[in-house]
Amino acid sequence: MSAMDPTEVFRQEASELFEVLEGALLDLGQRPDDRELVDSAFRALHTIKGSGAMFGFDKVASFTHEFETAFDRVRKGEIKPTQELISVALAAKDYIRALIEDPQSTDDIIGEAILDDLKRFVSADQPVAAVMEIAEAPPLAPAVTKQAGWHLYLEFETHILRNGSNPLDLLEDLCKLGPCFVVPVTDGVPFLDEMEPEDCYLKWDVKLHAACDKDAIDDVFMFVQDEMKLTLSPLEHVEAPAPAPLFQLLDEELAPVAEMPAPPVEAAAAPVAEQAVAKTEPKSESKPEPKLEAKRDDRGIATVRVQAERLDELMDRVGELVIAQARLTQLAASGSDLSIKMIAEEIERLASSLRDTTMGARMVPIGSLFGRFRRLVHDLSRDLSKPVEFVTSGEDTELDKTMIECLADPLVHLIRNAVDHGIEDTATRAANGKTEQGRIELAAVHSGAQVLVTVKDNGGGLNTARIRAKAEEQGLIATGAVLTDHEVHQFLFHPGFSTAQTISALSGRGVGMDVVKRTIENMRGSIDLSTRPGQGTTVTLRLPLTLAIIEGLLIRVGEGRYIIPLSAVEECIELTAEDERSRGRNFLNVRGNLVPFLRLREIMTASGTPDRHQKTIIISTGETHVGLVADQIIGNHQTVIKSLSKLHSDVTMFSGATILGDGTAALILDVAQLVALAQSKVEKQHISEAA
Amino acid sequence: MALNPTEPKWSLRLPADCSIAAIRNVYELIREAFGRQERLEIDCSSVDKADVTSIQLLLSTAKTGQAQGRPVVLTSFSQSLRNTLRRAGFTSEAMIDQHFPQKKDGT
Repeated sequence: MSAMDPTEVFRQEASELFEVLEGALLDLGQRPDDRELVDSAFRALHTIKGSGAMFGFDKVASFTHEFETAFDRVRKGEIKPTQELISVALAAKDYIRALIEDPQSTDDIIGEAILDDLKRFVSADQPVAAVMEIAEAPPLAPAVTKQAGWHLYLEFETHILRNGSNPLDLLEDLCKLGPCFVVPVTDGVPFLDEMEPEDCYLKWDVKLHAACDKDAIDDVFMFVQDEMKLTLSPLEHVEAPAPAPLFQLLDEELAPVAEMPAPPVEAAAAPVAEQAVAKTEPKSESKPEPKLEAKRDDRGIATVRVQAERLDELMDRVGELVIAQARLTQLAASGSDLSIKMIAEEIERLASSLRDTTMGARMVPIGSLFGRFRRLVHDLSRDLSKPVEFVTSGEDTELDKTMIECLADPLVHLIRNAVDHGIEDTATRAANGKTEQGRIELAAVHSGAQVLVTVKDNGGGLNTARIRAKAEEQGLIATGAVLTDHEVHQFLFHPGFSTAQTISALSGRGVGMDVVKRTIENMRGSIDLSTRPGQGTTVTLRLPLTLAIIEGLLIRVGEGRYIIPLSAVEECIELTAEDERSRGRNFLNVRGNLVPFLRLREIMTASGTPDRHQKTIIISTGETHVGLVADQIIGNHQTVIKSLSKLHSDVTMFSGATILGDGTAALILDVAQLVALAQSKVEKQHISEAA
Repeated sequence: MALNPTEPKWSLRLPADCSIAAIRNVYELIREAFGRQERLEIDCSSVDKADVTSIQLLLSTAKTGQAQGRPVVLTSFSQSLRNTLRRAGFTSEAMIDQHFPQKKDGT
């Protein structure tokens, strides 16, 4: 394990901030009057700027600063965030991201063009007054909010400098409101041995001689309000003479000290005053009551950022522990020492608990993935001129982090398809009596040991006749073959299959759905598709909660032992003599339903004599049920999944292997492949019977 | 950034970057110098990047020196450092002198 590169930490943090920023900008397009969204976007920008500067990303800091400045009129509520402005802001965000992740790919000219666009939009004359009528509440009575000035006491949380915030910038911003007299309070600076050099110990006592609203002061500290204590009290009168402005900013910033304006009257006594500020009340001012504390209580550390690879390592270790524990349990069971058995049981319990805790630590809310699709839909909607509302739900649903990473590409395909093929153009929608705006829902929900992720559109639905015609054209089915709609729709997952009449940048090449299916099946998941003509299509991805350790059912076939993922097991029944007699037809009668079954002994070419009483394990993927006939059901088994070697990459029947308690290996059956195999056997049987 | 034992009075020249990105190195350097010298002179002429952390470190150094009876003298404040001090509210020479024991050039 290596120490984390600070620059890499910044990149990761920035990546999360970009998601926040993008989400806020996209939401602003829908809710332009939502101040919280504007604030959220600004907080993200501000942190990116500060951290960028801290980690040496000077271009990022300067571009973000320009972005912030240009967007400032939106923050002040002077202009509304129009769709055009949001689009440019998103482009600016993309540019900043490129500056951080791949600076070589960026060009200053692009950045300047984006900033020019941004400035043009925000400086364009807009009906500000009209906007303000809607967005702004009438100002509070001047008698209440307008003061001769304010006395502020600023105390920041010690970690504030580490996240890129700079109190000196805030002081400068404060001084833009009016003449300021700033006195640093140095009492909190510790001795060398006691100090953490990156912590903030300085505090500031500020007298702001400006009749501004409290809101204007709050605005200055809006990005750090959770990380500071701001004490505000009105100055009853302006102390004459009002001090000259402490900062003239920028241009004056570079001036030599000798050319600085004369310090205010108080300055001569500043060192003394400074001590007094910390300990006594300023006599010329009202008592700072009621003090308006912008909070905060010290909060404990709620989360810890951990490198993903450490979690992977931890999971591997737990996997090894589970295997060792299985061996211990087996050893204890074979002996007669009761105390060893008790210890083995205790360790089994602890290992199981540790496994659950570790898997829990790897769980990530799927919302982190959903956020990125909002931009996708936004851009597709714009490019295809199809207004689309994108709705997400179940963002809190947790999934193993590896699954989240694997899910991104399939969902991109599904959402692209939904916008491009699913949602009709506005004219067609209008003709069909639908709303002009299409709707795509992306949802996640827990269902037992699975997570269901659905992509649902309210478009025209699948054109079953066209899919069938295309399948016949490609020779996938015989002309006139009897197939259910469900079976016809499965051709969509066939490699190279596409019904799109034109190939676009988005879809139509027939590459996509087969990749989606393969990816989902590689994750030991399955994919369901349902459609209603004229009303839309729903694609449901059924995914296991984790890829690392699963509950499995251990079975024996001949001398070999195999694992079936328990989540796919519906029930276990004994193969009756009547079922045995059905050899050749391979169907079970399960409570009146015919269920095809596979004899694993035949598939695995097992040697030896079959057990007299064969067992059938009914497995399912979605609505399809298949029986697997085995010699013996050994029982439940915590299965630590090990990948098969590259030599076995072409073996599709197994999704992995595991190590059993006695040190031998067992192969994990790939349920989806077995179900497909059973279905193809059924089809062949149909064809031969028809012939 | 180096300790220069050949100079008559032990001096430590601060590096150009004294911002938060590099402040821990500067901190370690000053602590190391404190462990070696009775009297410490810190040359601030090269400081090009400074922020709140730089100011705090100098304040702490001065405070520690005073508490331990070991003179610490700061010399040749760079313009960048002065600007940062001014932004933090140390606006007058008197105020700076109060907090940062300086040896003015030539004195």
